[in-house]
Amino acid sequence: MGKPKIGIYGLTGCAGDQLNILNCEDELLKIFDIFEVKSFVMASRAKDESVPLDVAFVEGSVSTEKDLEELKKVREKSRILVAIGHCAVFGGVQSMYMGCEAWMERYKKVYGKEDAVTISPPLEPRPLSAYVKVDAVLPGCPIEKEPFLKMAGLLAQGVIPKNPDYPVCAECKWKENECLLLKGEMCLGPITNSGCGAICPSHNIGCIGCWGPIEEENFAAGIALLESKGYTLDAVIKRFSIFGGTERGEKLAKYIESVKGGCNG
Amino acid sequence: MRVFKMEKGNLVPFLRSLEEFGEVWGPVKKGNSFVYAHEDPEKFDLSAIRTLIPAKKFFLPKVATILKFKNGAWTDNRECKKRVIFGLHPCDLHALNIYHEFYTRIYEDPYYTSNREATLIIGLSCLPDDNCFCNLTDTSTIEEGFDLFFTELDDKFLVWVGSPRGDEVLAKRKDMVEDITQNDIKEYIEWRKKREKMFKVDLSFTGLPEIVSASYDSDIWDKMGAACLSCGTCTMVCPSCTCFDVEDEYDIRNDELNRKRKWYSCFFREYSMVAGGHNFREARAERLRLWYTHKLVGFMSEYGEPACVGCGRCVVSCPVGINVLSVVRALTGEKNDAFWAKTEVKQL
Repeated sequence: MGKPKIGIYGLTGCAGDQLNILNCEDELLKIFDIFEVKSFVMASRAKDESVPLDVAFVEGSVSTEKDLEELKKVREKSRILVAIGHCAVFGGVQSMYMGCEAWMERYKKVYGKEDAVTISPPLEPRPLSAYVKVDAVLPGCPIEKEPFLKMAGLLAQGVIPKNPDYPVCAECKWKENECLLLKGEMCLGPITNSGCGAICPSHNIGCIGCWGPIEEENFAAGIALLESKGYTLDAVIKRFSIFGGTERGEKLAKYIESVKGGCNG
Repeated sequence: MRVFKMEKGNLVPFLRSLEEFGEVWGPVKKGNSFVYAHEDPEKFDLSAIRTLIPAKKFFLPKVATILKFKNGAWTDNRECKKRVIFGLHPCDLHALNIYHEFYTRIYEDPYYTSNREATLIIGLSCLPDDNCFCNLTDTSTIEEGFDLFFTELDDKFLVWVGSPRGDEVLAKRKDMVEDITQNDIKEYIEWRKKREKMFKVDLSFTGLPEIVSASYDSDIWDKMGAACLSCGTCTMVCPSCTCFDVEDEYDIRNDELNRKRKWYSCFFREYSMVAGGHNFREARAERLRLWYTHKLVGFMSEYGEPACVGCGRCVVSCPVGINVLSVVRALTGEKNDAFWAKTEVKQL
C-alpha cells in the first residue's frame, strides 16, 4: 500500500486552519513524509486534482455557489472527508444569525446591494455537513496543532478519528481550575467541545465557545443559569451566538421566539 | 494501633525528610481553593478542608499512557512514581478505601496497584465546614487505609501508625516523636467532642437506600435533568468515581501508538452508547438517576457501604446545585433552594 493521498482545501473563512497546519513546523516534513500531499495551495501552487484522494481536509464554510461546487468535487474524489475548523464543522461566526428569515436583508446591509459580490452568487453560510457527508471533524477556531497531529496520526493508520464527546469543563477540571461559572463569570465551558485543554478558563477568562457546541448541549439551562447570575437574556444570546454555528443558531431562534415572540436577527 | 505525639515544629522537617521515600505532595492554596501539589512542606496549608480534585488523581491519573506500541510490539507503560501524599482527611481515606476495593477485589488493576504500592499515605485530621457531612455517611473517622495519620491538637500532633511501612518511617525518625501520656488522650477526646459538635448539615441519611430505590419513577429526576449541563464536574471531583475511557493515539513524531486511559463520566453521551448508536441512557434524567442510585444504593448492596463519603465536593462544585445534599433534600421532602429545584428551565 502506498502512502495515503491527501488534499487540504479552503472554502470561505480566514484560512487560519490551513495556516495552523503550516505552523506545525517541526512536524511538517513528517506530514509530507507519511502522506502524499496532492493539493495544498497555501503551501504550494503545484497541485494535482486529477487523482482520487484517501483523505481531504476542508476548512471554511459554504458561503457561495463556488464553494459548494468545489466542495462537491472534493467530496466526490475523496474516500474520507474531514471538516477542519469551526467554519467547516459548524458554519463559523458568519453563520451566527442562522434561523432568522432576514438573511438577505442583513446581506444588503453589509454589502450595500443584492448583487454586490460578483465572484459567485452568495449563499447563507453553512457548514460542510449541510451539503455533503462528513466523515470526521476537528473543531476549533482555529484548529490546534496537537489535536491536528493526533488526527493525522490516526488517519495515516487508516483509522477514522473521533472527537471527544465531553465539554471544556472536563479538561478544566483536569487542570484543577476553580470554576468561573461559580464565580459568576460568563463561561461557556459546559456547552462547548473540549480539545483546547481549557486554555481560556486556565487563564481566568470565561470560555467563549470557539470549539463549537457539544452535541447534547443543554443551552436552555445555560441561559437560565447565566440569567440567574444577573446577565440579560440579550447578553447571553449574543455570547451563545458568536460560535454557535448553524445548528445552535436555529435552536436559539426557536428559543427566542418562544420567550420573546420574535427573531433576534 | 500505635500512637505517638509530635511537636508542631517538627512537622515540616519530618515531611521534608520523607523526600528520601519519594516526592512529598500536600494541599496548597490555589485562588480560594486547594490543590495537592509537590511543594516544600512549609507551603502546605493545614486548614485545607477539601482539595478541588481528590487524591484519586495519584492512583488513577486524569490522563495516562498505559501501553505503547512500536515496531510491532507492545510495552507496558506503568507509571509508578514514588510519592508521599500528606493531608488526606478521613473522608478522603474512606474514598481511597473504596477505590482499593473497586480496583483490587474482583479484577486487580495493575496500574492502580503499582501506584498505590509506590505511595506513602499520610492522613490529617480536620474540622468540618458548612458543606461537610461525613458524620451522616459514617466516614468522619478512619481506622485503616493510611500509613500514618496526624491529628492536630492545640500544641501537638498525635501520630497514628496504620501500617508496617508507617511504623518503619517513624522508627527511623524516633527523635521527632514521643510517647503519649494520659493527658494527651484526654485532650484528644475533648477535641473529638468539639469536632462532632461542629457539623452543620441538618439532614438524615437514615433509610436512604430504600428512599432512593422507591423514588425510581419520581419526577424530580426530570426536574434535575432539565437543569443538568452534563458537564461531568460532579464525577471528576467525586473521590469515589472510578470510571475511565481508553483511547489510542498515534504519535507521528516517533511512529508510536499510545494507548491512553483518561477520566470519563457517566454524564457524557457515549458512556451508555453501544455499537449501532443506541444509547441506554439518552436522557440526562436517566444519567442522574444512575449516578445517585449507584452511589447510594448499588454500591451499598455490593460493598456494604454507600459510595458517598460526605466530602462535600459535589456541593461546592456543581454549577446548577445538583449534589448529594440537594438530591437527598428533594427525595426526603425537605426544603430545597438549589438552583435546579427553584428554576423552571424552559426546554425546547
